[in-house]
Amino acid sequence: MTTMTFDNKCFEKLHKTEAWMYTNVSALAKIDFALSTTFVDEQIIHGFDVTPANSFIVLINGVFNEEASRLSDGIEINAAYELAGTIASRGDSFIPSFECDTVTITNNQEKTIHILQLVTGDCATAASGSVFIHAKEGESISVAETHVCLGDSGHLFMPLTEIMAEKNSNVTLVRAIRGSNTAYQLGQLHVCQLDSSEVQTHTITLASKVSRNEVSAYLDGEHIESNFDGMYMLGQDQQVDNHLRIEHNYPNCNSREFYKGILDGNAKSVFTGRIYVKEGATDTDAKQTNQNILLSDDANAIARPQLEIYNDEVACTHGATTGEIDEEAKLYLRSRGIPADAAEALLMYAFLNESLDHLADDGFRKTLTDELLSAMPGGDFIRTL
Amino acid sequence: MTTPLLEIKNLHANVEGHDILKGVNLTVHLGEVHSIMGPNGSGKSTLACVLAGHEAYEVTEGEIYFMGQDLLELDADHRACAGIFLAFQYPVEIPGVSTKFFLKAAVNAMRKYRGEEELDAMDFLDLVEEKAASVKLNTDLLDRGVNEGFSGGEKKRAEIFQMAMLDPKLCVLDETDSGLDIDALRIVSDGVNKLRSSERGFVVITHYQRLLDHIVPDFVHVLIDGKIVKSGGKELALELEEKGYVAFENCDTGCCCG
Repeated sequence: MTTMTFDNKCFEKLHKTEAWMYTNVSALAKIDFALSTTFVDEQIIHGFDVTPANSFIVLINGVFNEEASRLSDGIEINAAYELAGTIASRGDSFIPSFECDTVTITNNQEKTIHILQLVTGDCATAASGSVFIHAKEGESISVAETHVCLGDSGHLFMPLTEIMAEKNSNVTLVRAIRGSNTAYQLGQLHVCQLDSSEVQTHTITLASKVSRNEVSAYLDGEHIESNFDGMYMLGQDQQVDNHLRIEHNYPNCNSREFYKGILDGNAKSVFTGRIYVKEGATDTDAKQTNQNILLSDDANAIARPQLEIYNDEVACTHGATTGEIDEEAKLYLRSRGIPADAAEALLMYAFLNESLDHLADDGFRKTLTDELLSAMPGGDFIRTL
Repeated sequence: MTTPLLEIKNLHANVEGHDILKGVNLTVHLGEVHSIMGPNGSGKSTLACVLAGHEAYEVTEGEIYFMGQDLLELDADHRACAGIFLAFQYPVEIPGVSTKFFLKAAVNAMRKYRGEEELDAMDFLDLVEEKAASVKLNTDLLDRGVNEGFSGGEKKRAEIFQMAMLDPKLCVLDETDSGLDIDALRIVSDGVNKLRSSERGFVVITHYQRLLDHIVPDFVHVLIDGKIVKSGGKELALELEEKGYVAFENCDTGCCCG
């Protein structure tokens, strides 16, 4: 049994800091969050178990649930792992952390490990959950996390994931934010990479009232490949804040941030992509892209590309587009007999599916596609194809 | 007298306030292949876009009838369902959905329009295999994003493949030969020729005579400054090649228009 302490007063003035200036979570300071473990019906968990042949780890309100989980070699719960927490401590996130169970993943993991983190409770409940992925030299690990707040009590979930990718290793991480649209999900991902490692992360936001997805990466070697992708489909008063900082500390590394989404209703997206290139980190190639389609006059997209470069021999580019559905492409589809509303649905699906296309073709992707179609205008038409 | 497949009468159209078409007359019957030739900026592509229902082009005067039906009353998708197909000069790339996926939507939209049942997945894939083979299109390409990363030749072959899939009554080819090398030109032309029938008509828009060596037209029209200034048989294309468009620039509009 874990004991949890948590001071929510830290949220009160967060939006007065530069890093949170577009995302106001001061309301969280006034809520008396419950910090309890609880029970989730087996059937609900089963519904999220979309890759039954793979390892499956369930955390409920940050507490490991042994009955519902399937562990395999290299997966440990609350192992005494001295690296855990060290990558996160290099950053300066304001998101508080409090005690919770930690899932540690090591060894070669050919099959994607699915981690389900649920937050539930009769009243507003706060929880954290921690994952540490450690790929040693030459190893390959693939992890998919589903973060779900259940019910409409306005839960607060603050998950923390750390990735340590040693020489020549390869880590793929997909994080999908699903569930309630009244929840706050404030997540942190911290990545450290050594020579010739490859890390790819996908952050997919399809739910929550407010999602803050912080990514900080430390490229501590040469010839590193880092890809950080994101996708979101939001409406009503939903907001997503993708906040990245990629630190190039050595020469000859490539990093890419590619975030895209569709905003309907009063939805808002904030993208901050900071690239820091240290003195001596020559031949850095860093790209950041944020593309938005706005379906309503009241939707809002804010893109903040930030470059902090301390040497001359770099190629750093950034691009942001915010617009409506491409009329030329729409005409092309209509000229093939597809009605206007269906053409729009097809183009929205194409725009977002480009992100999902990169994921392994398994039950996890299928579920995300399904979830996307539920969230997207015209999704029912796409289902018929 | 049978109803013409396409009847364009005194068509005037503008885009962004510029008058482009200034009184085009053209009649196409089933089974005929008409070629429209003209210099850059003469209005060839505008004519194609107006036929397809591109909303950026405004028709200010004149009429278009398609199988007796007032075409200008129809939206772009209804025109396609009625049987008009435009092979685009610059096909749009749509990453994220495959050609197969999008064509399934198109084929079924048309079948629904005609009151037919939707094709099941197997029949659809059989049709894809058959039609792709007719333009020597590698079906692997059809699992990629629509036109995504296709070479110039692949894009044009994919257009003709789509045309074969959708089985239109009137095919409008807008500079289908642009960007093609000789081999690709032959493959595309063969694909088009296989679709020639007494149940279909073609309007082939081109800049150069060389396409017409492969797709031999029944009629050739010279479009200059928004008007058809001369019409004739396939030999007119050769005359154009020899004399250039300059020779036709002061041609009286009354001369033998289609």
